[in-house]
Amino acid sequence: MEPNGLNVEMILVMAMIFLAVFLFIVEWIRVDVVAILMMVSLPLLHLVTPKEAFIGLSSNAVVSIIAVIIIGAGLDKTGLINKLVGPIVRLAGKSPSRIIVAISLAIAVISSFMQNIGAAALFLPAIQRISKAMKIPISQLLMPIGYSAILGGTITLVGSSPLILLNDLLVPFKLQPFGLFDVTPIGLGLVVSGILCFVLFGRFILPRGSREGDPAEQGKNGEETDLLQEIGDVYELRTPDDFTHYREPVRVEDLRRRYLVNIVATTEPPDYKVSSPPLDAVIRSGVDLLVFGRDKDVRRLAESEEMILKEGLEVFKEDAADHASGTVEAVVRPRSSIAGKTLKQINLRDRFQVTPLAIYREGEIYRAQIGDLVLRVGDAIVLHGTWKRLQLLHGEGSLLFTTPVDVEIMRPEKATFAGLWLATALVMILVFKIQLSVCLMTGALGMVITRVLSIDEAYQSVDWRTIFLLAGLIPLGIATEKTGTAAWIAHTVLNAIGTVKPIVLLTIIGVLTSAFTLVISNVGATVLLVPLVVNMAVAADADPRMAALVVGLAASNSFILPTHQVNAFYMGPGRYRSTDFLKAGGLISIIFIPVMIGMIYLVFGV
Amino acid sequence: MAIITISRGSYSKGKEVAEKVADRLGYQCLSRDVILEASDLYHIPEIKLVKAIHDAPSVLDRLSGGKRAYIAYYKSALTRLVRTDNIVYHGLAGHLLLKGVPHVLKVRIIADLADRVRNEMKQENISEQEARSMILKDDQERRKWTLSLYGADPWDSALYDLVIHVQKFTISNAVDFVCEAAGLEQFRTTGEAHRKMNDLALASRVKAALVGFNPDVAVTCEYGNVLVFVANPERTTRKLREKVKSLGDEIRGVNNIEVHSGTALPPDVI
Repeated sequence: MEPNGLNVEMILVMAMIFLAVFLFIVEWIRVDVVAILMMVSLPLLHLVTPKEAFIGLSSNAVVSIIAVIIIGAGLDKTGLINKLVGPIVRLAGKSPSRIIVAISLAIAVISSFMQNIGAAALFLPAIQRISKAMKIPISQLLMPIGYSAILGGTITLVGSSPLILLNDLLVPFKLQPFGLFDVTPIGLGLVVSGILCFVLFGRFILPRGSREGDPAEQGKNGEETDLLQEIGDVYELRTPDDFTHYREPVRVEDLRRRYLVNIVATTEPPDYKVSSPPLDAVIRSGVDLLVFGRDKDVRRLAESEEMILKEGLEVFKEDAADHASGTVEAVVRPRSSIAGKTLKQINLRDRFQVTPLAIYREGEIYRAQIGDLVLRVGDAIVLHGTWKRLQLLHGEGSLLFTTPVDVEIMRPEKATFAGLWLATALVMILVFKIQLSVCLMTGALGMVITRVLSIDEAYQSVDWRTIFLLAGLIPLGIATEKTGTAAWIAHTVLNAIGTVKPIVLLTIIGVLTSAFTLVISNVGATVLLVPLVVNMAVAADADPRMAALVVGLAASNSFILPTHQVNAFYMGPGRYRSTDFLKAGGLISIIFIPVMIGMIYLVFGV
Repeated sequence: MAIITISRGSYSKGKEVAEKVADRLGYQCLSRDVILEASDLYHIPEIKLVKAIHDAPSVLDRLSGGKRAYIAYYKSALTRLVRTDNIVYHGLAGHLLLKGVPHVLKVRIIADLADRVRNEMKQENISEQEARSMILKDDQERRKWTLSLYGADPWDSALYDLVIHVQKFTISNAVDFVCEAAGLEQFRTTGEAHRKMNDLALASRVKAALVGFNPDVAVTCEYGNVLVFVANPERTTRKLREKVKSLGDEIRGVNNIEVHSGTALPPDVI
């Protein structure tokens, strides 16, 4: 197929592509809004028909993603994953390497059937518990496991958005669609190579504590950097009987601001106790205070404000006992309603009577004036409160508790149903060869009908951002193909690079996709590149299906920057900095390409 | 007992008043000493510092933040020197640089333009026209300087506790007034006032240490808890963070130090 010369429509399409890429990079507006902009402006420019503009919303890919998200939410609700983790850890024993291998394999398998970020969020509490129990620094665990969640997305055709999209993008070219497990050998190869990298080179590429040394030493470092230890402990103070006589009123927030000491409970005459008193409450004379803070800060407070620091807990002994209250670390989960708000705005103190003590973000600990910090996904908030109150907060669902709260608001009795409906969907796909979206939606519907999760919970779990990103970019792909722009660019590029072997072409496509996915998101890269590379492959006598597959797979090669959702989410809890991703992600990204091409060569014989 | 700042236009007799007040109260009199201290502490040539704190910032200065750096050094040196109390300071913008400290008595000494011109003609041995134009230019420069950096007009009497017009009042009268005011209860150095002064000195020192990394850096300090504010999180370089961490150990009196970004600046930020 010889392309026509450049025409106005093609120039317009290219302008729209440049606009989309530009907006993706500068992030003046959110990526999903860019996609909606494309969805609306392409029909206005007569580059696609109005029907084509919105075809994405009813596409196999979008429906499949909705169903996959609901199935994932169902698995999450039943606590099925947590049940799996226990035996896996026992099997792995005490060696950090074996634990990394075991959990990485587990998360990869789970991630192949649900959104990568969903799997990552699901595993985080379990991983943090393991880190504490086994004294392995969290930074040594989270990155390999997060990367495995991303790599696991390449094991099945429903594992990641680019692969779900792939078959839809092949339709205009009348190419044979891929089956659910066609990519499995390649995906497994990628997962194994990723895990091997960490096992062999982990000590060089993973961030470690302040001291270098063997794994036993690292265990000690892990203990030292334990967040809960850095923020202090509970102490009991008493105000003298003339406390308010000779000074300006001292409020709860004054003590927090001046000494970084949090008042978690006070006594109220005659014999009441108030937990998490409001910030504007005035400290009275002759009352007992239960405070949380570092030793030096509490001593400074007692000395400056002339309070009596008690030797041990007296009045609050029972209230501060381990069975009644405690300190937990809670992470702002992806798509949480509290992301983008400040602690002052969400007012946990008044609403749940829990006291926020500190925030951990990108390797930094924040203690002072944390009420004004705008919360981001992945921020770890340290909270103190009674277990009862913490459970209420846990039930609200905006925070992911990494320290176990005794009663989890879950439906473990529904685990069998959840497993059964997942299996049903898989059997429908594999045995009866019914279209992917129909099978997955059946599984999702089954979970709702058997009350694994309610229909409202199912609706709430759907990430509209992903849906509109996918649906909005699909018409851009259609326009690129329909106007002949894809063919034109493909020929121009091929003329420039000359004749190359198919395997070299696939490698170039892999590298190109990896670069694109870092800046314009995996979905953006897939939608833009698939029409292009199919045309290139046809012109260069290579297999166009394989070229598209390379794009779908390499769109998951997103490890170098914390821009991938999973990396961004693990950054806070893992105390990672951007450079940590550059180092470890660099190696994984480089190895990704030859392993992918090698596996495609072995499996499909290209 | 107190810190007295005397703001004055050139040739307004403010210097004499300051020196006589210091003499009578047995206070230390500061002016040029601050420049020497800043130059010594931050290794900047004195002449550059004098120019930076005298002339109003140019457009280029506003963009590069160079002037703000010099002022941060100056403020750090000033707060360091006045921390000890019993000070009369008659240098640059004391009323603005020491804002928020309770025991600072802010005085402005003004004089008629004709008297000032006469004083300058006598001292510098120049013509009336030359003297007048120099004084007007100097006043204009001062006004521009404080307006651009602090949004305040030095001629706004609301900025001061006491404004004395030396004409009908003699220098000796002015000295009496200032000394009497300084002895008032309100200007006594209480424990709280001392703490606020120390916090301001700490914040100023931290700002001076960081302004080279980011000219837009803003700092607050309360009870030794220092907060460094950076407007744009992307501009919070690793170097700045490392420097902040090391400052926590280097500077005595810092209890806790953190870098916050993307939050609204508190009103007492410097």
